[in-house]
Amino acid sequence: MNRRTTLAAALALTASLALAGCGGADGAPQLKVADPYMPQPVDQNMAGAYFTVKNSGGTGDKLTSVTSDLSKDITLHKTVGTKMEQVDSLAIPAGGELRLSRGGNHLMFMGLKKKPAEGDKVTLELHFATAGPVKVTVPVKAVTYAPKK
Amino acid sequence: MHRRTLLASALAAAAALSLTACNDDDGKPAAEVSGGTTAKPIVTLDSPIEKPDLVLTDTSGKKYDLLEKTKGHPTLIYFGYTNCPDVCPLTMANIAVAVKQLPPAERKDLRVVFVTSDPERDTPAALKKWLGGIDKDFTGLTGKFDTIQAGARSVNIGIEKPVKKKNGDVVSTHGAQVLLSSPKDDKIHWMGMQEATSDNYTKALPKIVKGQNP
Repeated sequence: MNRRTTLAAALALTASLALAGCGGADGAPQLKVADPYMPQPVDQNMAGAYFTVKNSGGTGDKLTSVTSDLSKDITLHKTVGTKMEQVDSLAIPAGGELRLSRGGNHLMFMGLKKKPAEGDKVTLELHFATAGPVKVTVPVKAVTYAPKK
Repeated sequence: MHRRTLLASALAAAAALSLTACNDDDGKPAAEVSGGTTAKPIVTLDSPIEKPDLVLTDTSGKKYDLLEKTKGHPTLIYFGYTNCPDVCPLTMANIAVAVKQLPPAERKDLRVVFVTSDPERDTPAALKKWLGGIDKDFTGLTGKFDTIQAGARSVNIGIEKPVKKKNGDVVSTHGAQVLLSSPKDDKIHWMGMQEATSDNYTKALPKIVKGQNP
């Protein structure tokens, strides 16, 4: 083995390591949901929830809908200035993330089956344009909870 | 560079690459850049402004003259709406946490007024129910949208008439700031920004109820 082949082999190893480490840097979106929370809602009419979706894949995806036993009416919202608007989907860029946070993008639940209390857990299923659905267990936090930025 | 070092550095690169590629597994973003300057969560105004001259309907359906009812009392005023899962309940709950920590006499002296920016949906009964989940001592006001908007405008709070979109979604506006007035001159001296936390209000309110800068 001369120097050139050794180097080539090592570089090939690099590529395979990077791939193995993340289950595919190219191609399909690779989604992972982090830091979910639902602030305890004020009443049974309405609640909000937040999380981050990270995409380590080479293709972008979109969050298109969310389902849960808590409510039949769950919509995606973005905040523009001091207005909140319903949107059909929220983009998750390739190699990037979609972040839902207080005062920004959020889920809106209407007509709750029951009012969740701090310490409860709510189960959601996230649906995407490309990737398969992802189940998320969301802890209910204090009404004033906001994670440190 | 001989063969061995070259190989070593190539392997180091391999390790580094696989690490970077998976860096976001720790649940936190690798780096986050926030705005250049940190805005103060509760701002003292250079020139105090008059409270909005609003005569509206309270949660029991009675006429409520804001200037008359809050005269001589430290007052917090916020424009928002109850069909709001995000900013409005957070703002009101942050204030509620701070208010609960005031001594009883000061708590009784303080007026917290929530004025709806979506009066069509926020009837006195709807406001009463919603505020009951936050602090039943808070005042909720509703009335004609044009009256509320004019009052908000007089204190530099922009709200827009709720618009119903084709998909049935109603787009409403909440005020960007909470207005805080002094019991000494009944003028608004402070503004709570959207970023203000319950801790910020907890620190500021004991001073504000005495008419002092936080």
